[in-house]
Amino acid sequence: MNSLYMPKDSLIHSLDPRTKMIFVAFVVASSFIMNDPALQLLLLVALFPLVVIAKLVKPYLISIQFLLLFAVLIMTVHGIYNPIGVTPVFEIFGGLTFKYESMVYASVMSFRILVIGTGAVLFVMTTHPSDMASALVKWKVPHSFAFILLSTFQIIPIIAREAKIVMEAQQARCLDVKGNIIQRVKNLVPMFAPLFIITFMKVHQLSYVLECRAFSRKGNKTSLRETNIGSLDYSFLLGMLAVLVFEIYLKLFMMGSLQLTTDALLTYSLIGTWVVCGFMLIKFLFKRVQGKVGGVN
Amino acid sequence: MKAQTNNGEGAETMQPYMSVKNVSHVYPNGVTAVKDIDLDIYEGEVVAILGSNGSGKTTLVKHFNGLLTPTKGEITVGGLNTKKEKISKLSSLVGYVFQNPNHQTFLPSVRKELEYGCTNLKMSESEMEERVNKAIELFELEDKLEDNPFDLNSSQRKEVAMASIMAVSPKVIVLDEPTTGQDHKGCKRVLDLVRMFKEHGHIVVLITHDMHLIGELNCRTIVMNQSRKIADDQADIVFSHKGIMKEAGLQPPQITSFANDLSNLDSSKTYLTVDSILSWIKENKEKKEEAVQIGSGS
Repeated sequence: MNSLYMPKDSLIHSLDPRTKMIFVAFVVASSFIMNDPALQLLLLVALFPLVVIAKLVKPYLISIQFLLLFAVLIMTVHGIYNPIGVTPVFEIFGGLTFKYESMVYASVMSFRILVIGTGAVLFVMTTHPSDMASALVKWKVPHSFAFILLSTFQIIPIIAREAKIVMEAQQARCLDVKGNIIQRVKNLVPMFAPLFIITFMKVHQLSYVLECRAFSRKGNKTSLRETNIGSLDYSFLLGMLAVLVFEIYLKLFMMGSLQLTTDALLTYSLIGTWVVCGFMLIKFLFKRVQGKVGGVN
Repeated sequence: MKAQTNNGEGAETMQPYMSVKNVSHVYPNGVTAVKDIDLDIYEGEVVAILGSNGSGKTTLVKHFNGLLTPTKGEITVGGLNTKKEKISKLSSLVGYVFQNPNHQTFLPSVRKELEYGCTNLKMSESEMEERVNKAIELFELEDKLEDNPFDLNSSQRKEVAMASIMAVSPKVIVLDEPTTGQDHKGCKRVLDLVRMFKEHGHIVVLITHDMHLIGELNCRTIVMNQSRKIADDQADIVFSHKGIMKEAGLQPPQITSFANDLSNLDSSKTYLTVDSILSWIKENKEKKEEAVQIGSGS
């Protein structure tokens, strides 16, 4: 299977793709409703058990660390420089102060990225692309449009594989891919020119193949993989509805009295992301050094 | 008959140009693609690597120019350990022609394509000129120099890809399935080119499924099966060994099977080409006629 889909036997995997699509919409909506760092952090933590249920902890952590990079940048830069901040919270070297209002703003934004990212990763990794396409068709989305989505998911790993071959092919022509940064930018041309051409050729060929197999025929199409909404889906949907109602209630009536966000929480979450990012950096550097020591690897 | 090397041209006394010592390769996903391979390749040899898909042929040859490094054992090419050298350096010794020329060609003209490898090696203008001209001559590309490689047909494009590798003038040239998807003329051209490379003192390593090609060349043949080397000998000896052929799922050229099945032929010899059988028949006929003449004379 060449896509981001990870076949596992879990409750989340057996949900109908439509339920999961609604779930993604729900996650996006709640990340906007809960306009408060503490509540968003709570949401993020609450999503994690779902990742555990889906048995995807390791791939999830791998894919989420790139989003964490964004979070660190946003929290640091906004926390210091965003002009909406007035109340200083703490100061780091050189008179740079993190201000309360700007930290709230930055935390909301970066947690939102993480929350939506988690929802999206859950959806993509647990849903077979063709299931998603057939679910979309059930929602009366035109079949060709569903196919566009489907083929996008499937072509990414194909391009990745081709890119590897092209890189090897250019290395076989004495191209030094392990040069400095300028060298690497220059190398983009021999890498991407063949890759683009091959991709266009492949897509062109795909269109012929589709036509040969009666893709443009009018009328309903059946699918080999059937998806059905069962009791599990209904309970999941109900749960989401309940949480959503609670969120709205919280937002409308409790916001005045409930004050979870404190200086300490903001500071700790900021330092927390720094620590995790620092750890990632050390791991990356360690691998590089190991590669250098161990020879050409 | 495992791993016994037969160097037809008395190469035993020579130092091997490329030596593979007890090499295994395990991919990051845990698949062992090559296991415990020992192999010496000498100057002036043409070596064909045979085996079914997924038997580890391509993985093995990717070690020759350092695209992959062995997870166990070591490989030396021209005295250099592939683990310690840059791929660009090794690529100037071992040219690797990929199966699909589209992966390698990207420049707007054939001439630029030929010069590309040399510019990567930062050669002087005059040296580059000399090498490129040599490749042009070898491949008879004089009238196509300003064409865009993508306007050429697939066999011509393959030839351009080959020429662009040869322009660097590597000692060893690896051809990955050179005859796949080629018409008869293209296959014949590949055969001629391989012979020409040999004449010019290159070592040629062929990965192929084309038994006819190997039959014509009658070169040293390595058979791989399930990541291991199961045979290493002259093509006629390998082809006559039914057990190995069956194990690797190979079918010798039709004419060889035909000759093997004809019981009245001289069974100690394996015939690889139509010509060899024809000459044998002719010889036999002459003998018979002689015998008849002697018979009638007495």
